Amino acid sequence: MAKDPILQVETTCGSLLYELQVIIWDEVGETETDRDKMLLELERECLEVYRRKVDQANRCRAQLRQAIADAEAELAAICSAMGERPVHNTRQSDQSLGSLKQELGTILPELEEMQKRKTERRNQFLFVLEEIENITNDIKGQGELVLPKPPIDETDLSLRKLEELHCHLQALEKEKSDRVETIRKHLCTLYSHCSVLGMDFNEVVSQVNPTLTDPEGPRSLSDHTIDTLDAAVQKLREVKIQRMQKLQDLATTMLELWNLMDTPIEEQQEYQHITCNIAASEHEITQANSLSQDFIKYVEAEVVRLGEVKASKMKELVMKKRSELEEICRKTHMLPVSDSAMDQTIVAIESGIVDATLVLEHLEQHISKVKEEALSRKEILEKVEKWLSACDEESWLEEYNRDDNRYNAGRGAHLTLKRAEKARNLVNKLPVMVEALASKTIVWEQEKGIEFLYDGIRLLSMLEEYNLLRQEREEEHRRQRDHKKLQGQLIAEQEALYGSKPSPSKPLGGKKAPRMSTGGAATSRRLSLGAGMHQTPKPNKKADQRQAEGALSTGRRGLDVAGLPSRKQSMDPCEQLQSPLTRKPFSPISTTVVASKANIATPQQLVPSSKSNAVNEISSFATPVKNNNIIKNLEEEKIMMMMQTPKNVAAMIPIPSTPATISVPMQTAPTPLNNNNNARFLPEKAEVIEYSFEERRLAFMLQSESPIHV
Amino acid sequence: MTLLPSVGRELSNPPSDGISNLRFSNSSDHLLVSSWDKSVRLYDANADSMRGEFKHGGGAVLDCCFHDESSGFSACADHKVRRIDFNAGKEDILGMHDEPVRCVEYSYAAGQVITGSWDRTIKCWDPRAASGPERSQIGTYKQPERVNSLSLVGNHLVVATAGRHVNIYDLRNMAQPEQRRESSLKYQTRCVRCYPNGTGYALSSVEGRVSMEFFDLSEAAQAKKYAFKCHRKSEDGRDIVYPVNAIAFHPIYGTFATGGCDGFVNVWDGNNKKRLYQYSKYPTSIAALSFSRDGGLLAIASSYTFEEGDKPHEPDAIFVRNVNEIEVKPKPKVYPNPPA
Repeated sequence: MAKDPILQVETTCGSLLYELQVIIWDEVGETETDRDKMLLELERECLEVYRRKVDQANRCRAQLRQAIADAEAELAAICSAMGERPVHNTRQSDQSLGSLKQELGTILPELEEMQKRKTERRNQFLFVLEEIENITNDIKGQGELVLPKPPIDETDLSLRKLEELHCHLQALEKEKSDRVETIRKHLCTLYSHCSVLGMDFNEVVSQVNPTLTDPEGPRSLSDHTIDTLDAAVQKLREVKIQRMQKLQDLATTMLELWNLMDTPIEEQQEYQHITCNIAASEHEITQANSLSQDFIKYVEAEVVRLGEVKASKMKELVMKKRSELEEICRKTHMLPVSDSAMDQTIVAIESGIVDATLVLEHLEQHISKVKEEALSRKEILEKVEKWLSACDEESWLEEYNRDDNRYNAGRGAHLTLKRAEKARNLVNKLPVMVEALASKTIVWEQEKGIEFLYDGIRLLSMLEEYNLLRQEREEEHRRQRDHKKLQGQLIAEQEALYGSKPSPSKPLGGKKAPRMSTGGAATSRRLSLGAGMHQTPKPNKKADQRQAEGALSTGRRGLDVAGLPSRKQSMDPCEQLQSPLTRKPFSPISTTVVASKANIATPQQLVPSSKSNAVNEISSFATPVKNNNIIKNLEEEKIMMMMQTPKNVAAMIPIPSTPATISVPMQTAPTPLNNNNNARFLPEKAEVIEYSFEERRLAFMLQSESPIHV
Repeated sequence: MTLLPSVGRELSNPPSDGISNLRFSNSSDHLLVSSWDKSVRLYDANADSMRGEFKHGGGAVLDCCFHDESSGFSACADHKVRRIDFNAGKEDILGMHDEPVRCVEYSYAAGQVITGSWDRTIKCWDPRAASGPERSQIGTYKQPERVNSLSLVGNHLVVATAGRHVNIYDLRNMAQPEQRRESSLKYQTRCVRCYPNGTGYALSSVEGRVSMEFFDLSEAAQAKKYAFKCHRKSEDGRDIVYPVNAIAFHPIYGTFATGGCDGFVNVWDGNNKKRLYQYSKYPTSIAALSFSRDGGLLAIASSYTFEEGDKPHEPDAIFVRNVNEIEVKPKPKVYPNPPA
């Protein structure tokens, strides 16, 4: 019947009480007090049970509340750690939501969610921190201090913090890459140094830090490593510079030795790559092994070898230096060190008494001293050269003035004339030049306190001597002029005797080389009276001769006016006639020369006319004498006489033979052949046969032979 | 007159009359000399010994040349061309011209003897043919005038005649002259000689001039030709002009010597137009010149060449002089005159 357990309990409790009070107790007849007592006890026991149950429930509720509070607190902590807004605010505003258990039910999944997120965030932190840790370790150096675990600040897992950590990580990463780069650079430098110096790169590097040699594995990036690496690089660089300087010193020595000994280029070629670096700076030397110990030893060996060669060649070197010294002395006209002194030093070197290097040094010093002196002499020397060349010109002019043919036309004559003009100017300046030179030399001597020697002779005495010579020469000239005046009188006397003056003659000095006859002067042109390059002799009219003579003497006078003294020793006719040649003057044969028998008549016809007309004909004497007409021959001879120059007349008296030069004027008679030819022989020309010398000779030969044969 | 040593060694036993020509052998220092005394003489120029004298009793010998070391040819005034065997001392007649034979040349290229005569012909002869003019004669070629000088180089034959004609033949085709020219000089041709390099010839005249000519007719080649004066004497402003009788080219340097009636021998550098040397004067006219095969010797015939007809003259003489390189070596062109 009792559906509700409580009702049932109450029913049961009521029925039980009834049963107890009515049935049991009545039956038992319990006293009221007992009854009351029993009832009180029952009631007390019941209360006790209630109280216990309530307490229990109360406790349970408190626990629940505690759980909720805990969860909320945790949630709040997590939220704050993660830097998020707490969630329970929403929950508080929603208090009516229900019982504690419900509340707990809503808060727990939230908490779980948050815890999950927190773990994730934490892992993120852990990862970043671990990274940082790794890099820091890399930077700080391996094996130095390995931190056990990255400490995580649980209270701050905010994104901001994470961001900060990331930044830190990036900075570290950058630093790491910087260090890697630095190390790479250092290693590169180190490698190049090692290769230049011929050292083992790996060995050097492993001394710095063994991890650097491992191409695969991680390399130490610590400050220490970098510092050591840097130091190693610096050290090697110093070594390199040191070696480079040594090598350059060696190369310089080598060059000097080569230079000294004139080592052939082929031999030098082998060491060209060393000497070419002689002026290179440190960074320019990059060739592998170019500064290795072995290489330096090799160069050293060569230098030592050269040094030995040099020692053996020292004598030669001394000689060479000496010749250099002599060359300088010669150039500057100073007196070189006397030979005997030099020979003695060489003997001394050979016998080992004197160190050749010392002698060499001494020579070098001497050379530089001489060079210095040469510099101070230079100015005066230049003047001396000028003076000497002026003296040369003067003597040339002297000789030139003696040449009576100097105005004759010829190739280069104008140049000679020009030269003479220059020379005259120069000669006029000579006294001033000498004076200036002398004063300069005196100043020099006073400054230096030594005499100015020119090839060992005191320059001043040279100048003095020259002045004396010059005076003498002037004296001589004066004498010559007087002599000439006398000569003129002699000639005048002769003229009075023979009616003509001798033509000027060539000086027969003998020592003078035949000079291109100079000329082109108007006077001498006039002398030849327009004769072309081909001149034919002609019987000169006296009038012509005089005219020519007049012109000639004008020319001569003109020369004298110019103040050119000329030697006239050869004026004596006897001297002129020393020429042994007996050969008759030759006249060129022209196409119009009539030489054949057929034309024999022509010259005969011409001879008389030539006297009056100045028309000439070579054949008058060049034709082989074929006719036996003695009269004609005589006539010819007479003509010849007439044709002969006045000089010949003079010559005829003392000596019968005729010098070749004497008949010259005949051949240079004024009438040009061509005109002659055109005027006189045109009609005949077709018949004229030109015979060669051989034909004429053969004809003559046959003719002279024929009488014998007949 | 005593001779200065500078003129060279004088050979003993010179010809007794004018020397018409002299030539060195191509293979030794033997010297063949022809003379107006109707003889041909063979000298050893080094030993100064006469190796042979060949007189045939004919006429004056106007020219001679070597065939080989043992024989030579002579051109005679008796119109005959003779072959002389030096070893046997025998002469035979190769052929005849109608007039005196003026010059003779032997062409090693053609193996022929070429003669020029005053009969206005040149003739070619085969010296190997059996004697007899009918057999040995190869051809006769008319010339415009009397032949006065011949010269050969390679296949070129230059013929200079009176009247200033110059004919140039190719030996391989003698039918016609390759070129007919007139001498560039205004006066009678004395001598013509080809350049050793075969590009032209030098021609001298009686009027102290030499012209340098070129075979090549192109304008560029002809522009190079020129003539120059030489063998002249200036006396008191007057020029005396002498004939240039002889030209001889140096076989190595191509420079050449000229000899004139002034008795001088000059050495010239034709390319640089310079006179290289002048030897001291010889007693009389230079009639002929010849360089030895290596150019080390120069033979000079100092012999009156009848330029002034019959007259007393210095004795005929042959001089052989050693040639210094400096006398014949071409000098590069320099400043023509020393700066004054």
